[in-house]
Amino acid sequence: MNIYRAAFAAGFGRAVRQPGDLAVRAGFYLLLLLTFAALWNAATAAQGGDIEGYTFAALVWYVVAAEGAVNATKPRLIEEIGDAIGSGLIAVEMLRPVSVVGFRLAAETGEALARVLAVVVPGAVVVLLAEGPPPSSAGALLAVPSLVLAFGCNLAGQHVFAASAFWVNDAKATWFLYQKFVFLLGGMLLPLEFLPGGLEFWARTLPFWTMAYAPARLLSGRAEPMLLLGQVVWLVALVAAALAVFGAGERRLQVAGG
Amino acid sequence: MKNALAVFRTATAEAAANRRSLGFQMAIMIANDVAWVGFWILFFRKVGEVRGWDANRMLVLFAILTTLGGIALGLFSNCRHVGRLAAGGELDHVLTLPVDPLAYTLTRKIEPIFLGDLAFGVVLFVLAGDLTVERTLLYLAASLCGAAVLIGFLVFGGSLTFFSRGRGEAGELGFQAILLLSSYPLEIFGGATKVLLFTAVPAAFVSGLPTRLVEDFDVVTAAVLVAAAAGFLGLGSFTFRLGLRRYTSGALWTRA
Repeated sequence: MNIYRAAFAAGFGRAVRQPGDLAVRAGFYLLLLLTFAALWNAATAAQGGDIEGYTFAALVWYVVAAEGAVNATKPRLIEEIGDAIGSGLIAVEMLRPVSVVGFRLAAETGEALARVLAVVVPGAVVVLLAEGPPPSSAGALLAVPSLVLAFGCNLAGQHVFAASAFWVNDAKATWFLYQKFVFLLGGMLLPLEFLPGGLEFWARTLPFWTMAYAPARLLSGRAEPMLLLGQVVWLVALVAAALAVFGAGERRLQVAGG
Repeated sequence: MKNALAVFRTATAEAAANRRSLGFQMAIMIANDVAWVGFWILFFRKVGEVRGWDANRMLVLFAILTTLGGIALGLFSNCRHVGRLAAGGELDHVLTLPVDPLAYTLTRKIEPIFLGDLAFGVVLFVLAGDLTVERTLLYLAASLCGAAVLIGFLVFGGSLTFFSRGRGEAGELGFQAILLLSSYPLEIFGGATKVLLFTAVPAAFVSGLPTRLVEDFDVVTAAVLVAAAAGFLGLGSFTFRLGLRRYTSGALWTRA
């Protein structure tokens, strides 16, 4: 367990020691907030004040959490993992006496935590000053662990998708597909309530809602603890799936060579 | 000009050499663009018309944006990488050639994935652009002007690295910002943000004014757009040349 803690700490330290990268992310995140705030301001005004029960303030806080959770992870992590598999780096990592995917998840979680702090804290302060506090204090409190669970689910999900590279040698297409799932079905761009019936059903059935919608819904003023429970269940399932597919991929490497 | 065309031909041949990879990368970007079109259709389906914008007008903006993005980031892909090349000292081989360094750098490499944007933009305009000869000509001219503004701005942002000695972060942030802000209707922004869109991050000249021209042509807007295109190209070129005087080699012999 100490090794995973060390990987987590190393990941956190690595992200913190790249202030330029963190500054670019924070700057881009603030621009995202500005843009979505302008869009939702115009949209809610056109709709007479609220859309599906979301006021302008609720939507801005929604964006703070949804964009923060997604921006915490590396945008091209799936591609990077795919490259590591394709180049044989994973085969070298298999020599360590620890789980490859467990070690990688621990390090990436450390990095993601540093990034989420770097982007969400300044973003939340700006929105707090401009729009006032989140609509529900209880929702805001629940949103904190939900944010961590969100990028945890996202990292595990990315490892599941990236493992396809053990068999197809290129995870680039997988990365694009996954990213669009998180954008639309994960509720990063639009709350799930805005989707048409059939699409909303699939969005709530698949795990992507745990990666953006859950913390965003909580921060937008809905104190719904069941969202957290759903995230925990999906996190366990996604980590188990990542361990299983990496295990199968590693066995394939051992048999067929890397 | 002759040299730049020759370099451009080489870059085209290089990109076309692996047709399977070219097709695959273009298909990925087209799928990406389809998802964005899906977002806008869902958005306007839910909220209706917003400040004069509906799904159809948004698709015209998106057609123009993807077309000019394909031209700037696909055909002149190094416009996005000037900061990285400057920071890494990777321009050595360019400086040894008897050609204009900026023209060579810009025409040297084609990024196949963004050719997917170019193809998507053209098809989207044909499908959603309410096609007439006048609108088609305006779409082509406006896309070229938008591409010129984007290239000029990216070269300018990247060239600041010659002076700041960073790792190209300012240029990267500029790239992300202009692409993001160009993806939304100009009319949704107000006050200080709108001033920003016409100055520090000139997204208004990249997609806002070009879309306005196609939808409702007027001579003054056209003149402003042409002037902006020339101005940003000039600014990018001037800053790059000025920055080259401060360039220090990274002892790396790469083919930028």
